[in-house]
Amino acid sequence: MSGGSGRRRPRLLLGAIVAVAAAGFAYWLVTMPEVVAADTLASRSPDLANGETVFNASGCASCHATPGQKDRLVLGGGLALASPFGTFHVPNISPDPNDGIGRWSEADFVTAVLKGTSPDGSHYYPAFPYPSYQHSSVDDVRDLFAYLKTLKPVQGRAPDHALPFPLDVRRNVGVWKALFLNGDAPASGKVLSDPIQRGAYLVNTLGHCAECHSPRNLLGAIVETQRFAGGPDPEGKGYVPNITARGIGDWSEDDLAYFLKTGETPDGDTTGGAMARVIRNTSLLTDQDRTAMAVYLKSLAPVEGPSRGHK
Amino acid sequence: MNRTGFFGVSLATLAVGIVVSGFGAMAQEDVIAKRKDAMKAAGKSMFGTLSQMSRDRKPYDQAEVNAALTQLDAFSKSLAPLYPESTKGAPRHGDYSASDKIWEDKAGFDARIAELAKEIAAHKDKINSLDELKASFPTLSRGCSGCHETFRIKNS
Repeated sequence: MSGGSGRRRPRLLLGAIVAVAAAGFAYWLVTMPEVVAADTLASRSPDLANGETVFNASGCASCHATPGQKDRLVLGGGLALASPFGTFHVPNISPDPNDGIGRWSEADFVTAVLKGTSPDGSHYYPAFPYPSYQHSSVDDVRDLFAYLKTLKPVQGRAPDHALPFPLDVRRNVGVWKALFLNGDAPASGKVLSDPIQRGAYLVNTLGHCAECHSPRNLLGAIVETQRFAGGPDPEGKGYVPNITARGIGDWSEDDLAYFLKTGETPDGDTTGGAMARVIRNTSLLTDQDRTAMAVYLKSLAPVEGPSRGHK
Repeated sequence: MNRTGFFGVSLATLAVGIVVSGFGAMAQEDVIAKRKDAMKAAGKSMFGTLSQMSRDRKPYDQAEVNAALTQLDAFSKSLAPLYPESTKGAPRHGDYSASDKIWEDKAGFDARIAELAKEIAAHKDKINSLDELKASFPTLSRGCSGCHETFRIKNS
């Protein structure tokens, strides 16, 4: 070994160590789970009726209700959600203190819904649709928490998600969040009271319609240019319809509102698949809310969806 | 659709049921075409008649209501043989197809059909006014979606 390269090597090594450390620090910083601090939540008494509306509008029961029984308010979880990335097992969100959310603080719950972060400070996978829920109004989420606490505690935990490396490392979800969560503030004020904006809020945020009715990229994020334009069913075979004017241009507002109430399409069919579960939620909303959703959906400009064909 | 049409549909569906139960080994494509026709005929009763009336889009007509329920009753009883195991995994055409789950969970599927038949039979000849129709329609409609939720695939 010559003297010259002997002097260079330690410097190279040092450089490499600094680079790795910097990358590690950047990773640590970028992937740090965000939380909502308890002291930002001013004391208030919850509105349970609104909590129930939020529960129905957000479709919580569609995934969290225990499969194989008929009561949609039994939120023991356990549904297996197939996806191109692996299988997610939906958790128990009943008020059970050991297996559900019985011991959670209100701030834990608000953090979970708005930030996608669990009470132990790790990331949830975006199979939990917080990319949509992140814009929920804080009061709506607090009312929802109070409402969930009134439901029956259910024992039992779902198995762990079945995901391959590196997706099984929850910290990596922080990278996904940095790339795809837009970080806009939760909804408040006029957005919640104006009828048209209320429709947008119900469709985009609580109803999280785009989560299924949009194609996704290789990392599983919604393709923004084709939001609501339909795509392959993430749960398996078949297609989820385009709900922009390109797909439902011939539906009237009344047709849409009636569909959300009954599951009947204008061409005389009853909806099936996961949408049947959605209708069980939307059928419990007020006519006013369903009409608001219909008005907003009818306002979506026509967008061509991904090319069809059997998957 | 007029009344004669409805009786025609009812008879046709009944006939489909009889024919299908008589020929176990029918060609795969034929069975699939027949069950699609049966679904379309049931859809006409459900929506062309019952839904339109319950939404006040068409005047209430007792004879039409009875005919629709008679047709649906025959339809629900004709369903089981329209889903032979031989049609599992058949190429999917058109807007909708039968899901393989029908045969993977045969007991669940059979129970659904039985429930549908029971619901329809319970309403047959029992709906005698527009108010009764409005009250019953959601139950009948859930009979359809109960199967479509799990056992049907949307192709397009």
